[in-house]
Amino acid sequence: MQLRDFFSPEAIRLDLEGETKDDVLKELVGLLALDEKSEGILFKMLKRRENLGSTGIGRGIAIPHCRSLVVNRLRVAFGRKREGVDFKAIDGKPVHDIFLIVAPPLEVSNQYLPVLGKIAQFSKEPDIAERLDELETPDQFMQLLEERGA
Amino acid sequence: MHAQLELLLEMQDLRAQRRALSEQDLGGLESELFEIEPELAVRRIDDKLDELEDRLDASVRGRYERLKGAGERMVVPVMGGICYGCFMAVPTAWASDAERNEAIDVCDNCGRFLYHLD
Repeated sequence: MQLRDFFSPEAIRLDLEGETKDDVLKELVGLLALDEKSEGILFKMLKRRENLGSTGIGRGIAIPHCRSLVVNRLRVAFGRKREGVDFKAIDGKPVHDIFLIVAPPLEVSNQYLPVLGKIAQFSKEPDIAERLDELETPDQFMQLLEERGA
Repeated sequence: MHAQLELLLEMQDLRAQRRALSEQDLGGLESELFEIEPELAVRRIDDKLDELEDRLDASVRGRYERLKGAGERMVVPVMGGICYGCFMAVPTAWASDAERNEAIDVCDNCGRFLYHLD
């Protein structure tokens, strides 16, 4: 299983506009191209998950995630906010790179945990924050995943 | 979308989150990577579920309680005309996409609440 099989350039935004955690979560949900009601339900679930504890894992990276009935397969998105946004991250620092993962409640192939684990592993590579900061196009993000064998 | 169906979806999603936190693998990852305490998180989800259950209409709540007694999945998606609770065909004829999920729909076979996903 490769991370790059789940991402697509349409679900990658390198210039998030939101200034707050809620705004960028909404922008990321918007990348999944769901209907308006589904977007609202998904945003609420992501907020509920964040209320249990921030998904900002430190070093400028966050991985908001949840299971929801509004998707029929595992969906991912990536957004970058160069200026950073307050995500109440574990290290208290602003978040710049945000990976969104949403999976249906039940999956035959059970990809949710492996994808979450792989994104966490990818995010922990020493130079990854710097490499993500250098990206200029969504295709370069896809190339970075490929380069790292992710 | 029907307001009570929206509420049911939220509750089903919360139950999925609760189950995920209770699983050893995912609960462990949540604890290790995100530093949350799964047991505490589960208690908070249970409190929220209690609160949301109180907002269900009596008729919806009655069915919800009966389904809850039988298992985890009270609301299931319909995809390709198939109920993903019992995998039986269900009728899916609407005049327009906007009509989908505008009423509380249940599966004639398994009795679960249906959420039409396509």
